Amino acid sequence: MTNGAAGSPGIRARTYKSGSIIYFENDKSEYIYILKSGRVVLTSIKPDTGEEVKDDVRQGEFFGVKSSLGKYPREETAQTIGETVVLIMNLSDFERLILKNVNVVRKMLRVFSNQLRRIVKMNRSVLGESDTIKPDYELYRIGEYYYNAGMPNRAQYALKRYMEYYPDGEYARDVMDKIHSIDSGEAPTGEMNIPAQAPAPAPGRIVSDDSDLSDFSLDVEPEGESQTSGFDASGDESISSEMDDFLSDDSIGDNLDDFSFDENTGGGQKTYIVELYNDAADLMEQNSYSEALELLDQILQSVDQKNPDEQKCFENALYQSGLCQLNLGNRKEAFAAFGRVIKDFPQSDFAKNSLYNIAGIFEAANQRDKALAYYTRVLNMPPKDDISQQAFSRIKKLQNG
Amino acid sequence: MILDEKFFDKFGVEYSPDEIIFCEFEPGNEFYFIQSGRVKIVKLINNREKTLDILSDGDVFGEMAILEEEPRSATIIAADHVRLLKFHRDNFDALLQGNPQLAYKLLVIFSKRIYDAKRRLMILLLDEPQLKVMDVLNMLSEQDPQLDLQDEISLPVTVEDVASWAGMAVEDAQKELTHLSRLDKIEILNDRILVRNIRDFQRVVSTRRKNMYS
Repeated sequence: MTNGAAGSPGIRARTYKSGSIIYFENDKSEYIYILKSGRVVLTSIKPDTGEEVKDDVRQGEFFGVKSSLGKYPREETAQTIGETVVLIMNLSDFERLILKNVNVVRKMLRVFSNQLRRIVKMNRSVLGESDTIKPDYELYRIGEYYYNAGMPNRAQYALKRYMEYYPDGEYARDVMDKIHSIDSGEAPTGEMNIPAQAPAPAPGRIVSDDSDLSDFSLDVEPEGESQTSGFDASGDESISSEMDDFLSDDSIGDNLDDFSFDENTGGGQKTYIVELYNDAADLMEQNSYSEALELLDQILQSVDQKNPDEQKCFENALYQSGLCQLNLGNRKEAFAAFGRVIKDFPQSDFAKNSLYNIAGIFEAANQRDKALAYYTRVLNMPPKDDISQQAFSRIKKLQNG
Repeated sequence: MILDEKFFDKFGVEYSPDEIIFCEFEPGNEFYFIQSGRVKIVKLINNREKTLDILSDGDVFGEMAILEEEPRSATIIAADHVRLLKFHRDNFDALLQGNPQLAYKLLVIFSKRIYDAKRRLMILLLDEPQLKVMDVLNMLSEQDPQLDLQDEISLPVTVEDVASWAGMAVEDAQKELTHLSRLDKIEILNDRILVRNIRDFQRVVSTRRKNMYS
């Protein structure tokens, strides 16, 4: 990727009139863009519902990254609204740019990795695999497969790993027997035996229950948030959204002309509360919910609710603390937090998400009627967006189930 | 991209042929670079071990562990004597700072995997087995830019592969492929499938996709 270093035109700005198409879905191109001023809307089709999704690119944000890097056709159409200035670069410009700023790359990797997870999860659910994955059972099954297939070394690896991670697991006894039998040379070797019927996963734990709960944190992240939100790079993009949802850098808005990507050039104004909030957001991304919760609690205790900006922060923190509780399996606490968002901040951007999460909590607790009532409230709440769609599919599922 | 050998003292690990490097479903905290040798990516599918891919020097695997712990999605087995660099998630930032090139490479890898996973989803969401099979062939044709799509094309794929991509039982995929073959749309050979006119399949699938939700 060193070509064009000398002859490259470099990163340049281009001004578009309102309504211009920057690129069409299915175009092939290596250009990558940053929105400098004006508005760019990306229109894509959701693969699972065929629904058209429109996403606004935020100022300072990259778009067109994945299709350029992966060398595949554009998955969305990019159109301007109002006079718009974008920065255009080719792959080698992009490479040079990001090499100077590892933080941007880290953010991108996080967003990409979340997107990948989500799509892989959808694939699994379409294949009917989503609710059945129990890593301990699966690891056991692999050990058993290799054991019966006469591959003792591979079996030994999987079985020993099982004992390492699940020493008290429900298959531990059988696993130990097999390990001993391999050690003493009694295990089947050579030819392939017909694998024994593996025991069904034990009914004790409801697996789908857990996965539903974790779904909320993945799929019901807030839509575009207030400026104070620290969730720029977190999972608020829909699955089909091709918006490469990360900001180029905090500093880029101020330093577009010299493309300075030095850190800390633009920021510095962050209040203590916002910093706490951002730190909590980072911790949540790392699944460190207890730690995030501590920071969020600090915010909830120290915010001056009369200050409109801080009140916003309070709402956000309240909602996020609900998400943390949900992820920690504390349904009651989660319920209380979401309930408070709805009651105290009915106009909040998070009110709808909160309703949806409450519905999910009822659903997980097998309170079908209450779940249905809350999903219906979500459905009746404008605008018709992703959450409405998800509520609708939950309702259908509950009614059919 | 081969990372500097100086890393090997600190992060190097070696495996002999046939050794498991990690196993599907075990928790993953490390990711790997292949310095030399080859590894196989395998999965148990319908109680059979299936090789999904072979990676060699310069490749990366286990990259989903970079950001958080997640059960491994496949088993990696050394295909010959391999030398690897093994990095724990906690070292990732330090590694990035020292090797921005690596960061770029990872972005490319993720971009491709996201696309591939989405493309697969498009296949799985089709409502008829016949269309799924056709779209698997479409997908494979898209992956090889050398192919002349105006002409008959040859895709290195078996019936089992098609079944696995389409999320179907092998017998069902076989049935659909046989049907296409009777219509002389394709020819099934041992290790490959010839498609007479892939444009035809592309049209059929894209028309259906457009009508699916309307």
